[in-house]
Amino acid sequence: LRPDITVSALLAGPADLRQLEGRMAGTGVLYLASDARFSRYNPEHYQRLITDIMKREACSDLFFADTVLSRDLAPRLSVRLKASLLSGCSIIEDIASEASCTRALYSGSVIASFAPRRPLSIYTTSSRPTHPIIPSETHISLVLLEPPGFIEATLLPVVCGMVMRESGSDVTEAGIIVAGGRGMGSAEDFEQLEELARLLGGVVGASRPVVDEGWRPHAEQIGQTGKTVAPALYVACAISGAPQHLAGIGSSRKVVAINSDPHAPIFDVADYGIVGDVHLVLPKLIEGLQEFLKKR
Amino acid sequence: MDIAVCLCQVPDTASVITVLDGAVDLSRVHEVMNPFDEYALEEAVRLKERFEGSVVTLFCVAPPSAKEMLRKALALGGDRAVLISGTKEPSDPFQTALLLSRAISACYATALPDLIFCGKHSTDFQSAQVPLMLAELLDLASVSAIIKLNASTEGIQVEREIEGGIELLDLHYPALFSVEKGLNVPRKTTIKAVIEARKKPIDHLSLTLSESPFVAITAMKPLIRKKQCRFVSDAKELIRLLGHEEALF
Ligand SMILES: Cc1cc2nc3c(=O)[nH]c(=O)nc-3n(C[C@H](O)[C@H](O)[C@H](O)COP(=O)(O)OP(=O)(O)OC[C@H]3O[C@@H](n4cnc5c(N)ncnc54)[C@H](O)[C@@H]3O)c2cc1C
Ligand SMILES: Cc1cc2nc3c(=O)[nH]c(=O)nc-3n(C[C@H](O)[C@H](O)[C@H](O)COP(=O)(O)OP(=O)(O)OC[C@H]3O[C@@H](n4cnc5c(N)ncnc54)[C@H](O)[C@@H]3O)c2cc1C
Repeated sequence: LRPDITVSALLAGPADLRQLEGRMAGTGVLYLASDARFSRYNPEHYQRLITDIMKREACSDLFFADTVLSRDLAPRLSVRLKASLLSGCSIIEDIASEASCTRALYSGSVIASFAPRRPLSIYTTSSRPTHPIIPSETHISLVLLEPPGFIEATLLPVVCGMVMRESGSDVTEAGIIVAGGRGMGSAEDFEQLEELARLLGGVVGASRPVVDEGWRPHAEQIGQTGKTVAPALYVACAISGAPQHLAGIGSSRKVVAINSDPHAPIFDVADYGIVGDVHLVLPKLIEGLQEFLKKR
Repeated sequence: MDIAVCLCQVPDTASVITVLDGAVDLSRVHEVMNPFDEYALEEAVRLKERFEGSVVTLFCVAPPSAKEMLRKALALGGDRAVLISGTKEPSDPFQTALLLSRAISACYATALPDLIFCGKHSTDFQSAQVPLMLAELLDLASVSAIIKLNASTEGIQVEREIEGGIELLDLHYPALFSVEKGLNVPRKTTIKAVIEARKKPIDHLSLTLSESPFVAITAMKPLIRKKQCRFVSDAKELIRLLGHEEALF
């Protein structure tokens, strides 16, 4: 949108550039550090790669998606570059002049704006793009980075393995989440939520008691001591809506609540609600959805 | 083994947070140990119990009122505590990390502690910056948000959740970890431990802070999330609304 702003991007590790076709816009440089040793995260290597490019391009602002990796890397970079770090921004405004980043604090009961006080700024953002990408306007040059000398240095920690979940998708990345609370009753009762999630192309989430009971893994816990999620649709089944749970779902676009208690606080933050027993409502939802999807 | 644990205070989760003149009104909230720091402390104490001769030192940048929380942490197994204040009050994670790094360097004059534990994030400001900034300032290897830790005399293996899976990492001492819920189940205090904790030392350390903060807060407002809920009685009707009107699937 601002032709005077040049964007430099970095891809670390071997990458299939065809996947980027039609997904880039603007004017800038794409750096590709294709050495296979960059495919695994090493904070020291990544810091060096990034600081080199920032110097080369005289960058004033550095952007990350808000992920496990950036939450690990950005604070270290902030100290090393003496750069302001604005993390978890849901809105970023006016970076060319008096920049500000907005995010929720105190489990989502307060919203605050932060401003950088250093010439360099780092942002980690959970916001989704608000402007459509216009691929026709791209002026992007590709620079291949030679494997830098520092990569041989044995720097710790060393990632020695990864175990990926079979379902692959993560609640923090999911577009649709079907979450269950204590009122589901048992681990077995989550099969219905899995079925619903499968039909919707979403994933299953959980409240804390469900995880504490061992019905679901901790990776699925949503809330203050779990994940913060931002799906297009959040379906809360037999979840009361405690503030610690709501702390994680504030960025959901639409919330649907199913609860037998008409006064459950979850209905205060829901767009649609069904008052009823999940064990009766869920089979009907699944059946109705199968019909709906067949008709299309 | 020398183990340091960084602890901070946050309003307890039952507190109602109000905003007064653009700042959070903390006059009526009850402050407790950050929930993630309970897991950090528990892990440190478990290691102390396994490796004979270990000492667990607690570090906290806070006003003197944090003493009560530190007493509780000592009852949970800490050996001594250091309550840190700056020549000016720290106002961002960088300044907090600076004070912690200076306090830790001052307390372990010759070498760094073998392990430093922090919480994944505070439940108030939730920036998750202090631990990794501290690691960078002390030039320590670090891993954030660990869910599993296996320590031997040679090294440490940890696990952390990443998007879609789990990452396994190998480290040598010294190292810093921030911990995620699920690492352990924290113990409860006993009356005996509470009494013994009264004899454990809490030192006050005042440190120069001349550096400016990296970030400033420019506005703060209460967040009202109330929505108008549309109640539907029929599952089919809900699917029609979500699928057609909202075009969500
Ligand atoms: C420090 C701290 C951190 C926390 N962090 C988190 C967190 O990250 N995430 C989190 O979720 N919680 C967290 N909690 C816990 C939180 O306070 C609540 O206890 C929890 O969210 C409640 O979970 P729930 O809604 O599943 O269960 P409950 O509060 O027990 O609610 C169950 C709901 O199900 C409904 N119900 C029961 N049976 C049926 C049925 N057959 N059909 C339909 N509805 C039914 C009930 O009406 C009720 O509303 C935290 C608490 C503390 C103290
Ligand atoms: C821009 C900004 C401005 C602020 N301004 C003010 C202000 O004017 N007045 C004010 O009172 N507060 C202010 N704060 C809050 C205060 O500075 C934060 O509590 C501090 O920066 C720590 O950040 P955090 O709470 O996000 O910790 P996180 O980085 O989320 O904490 C993670 C872990 O680091 C460790 N840790 C964090 N803080 C401490 C600590 N104090 N002592 C020991 N260990 C700790 C703990 O192990 C904790 O679990 C401000 C925060 C920000 C981001």
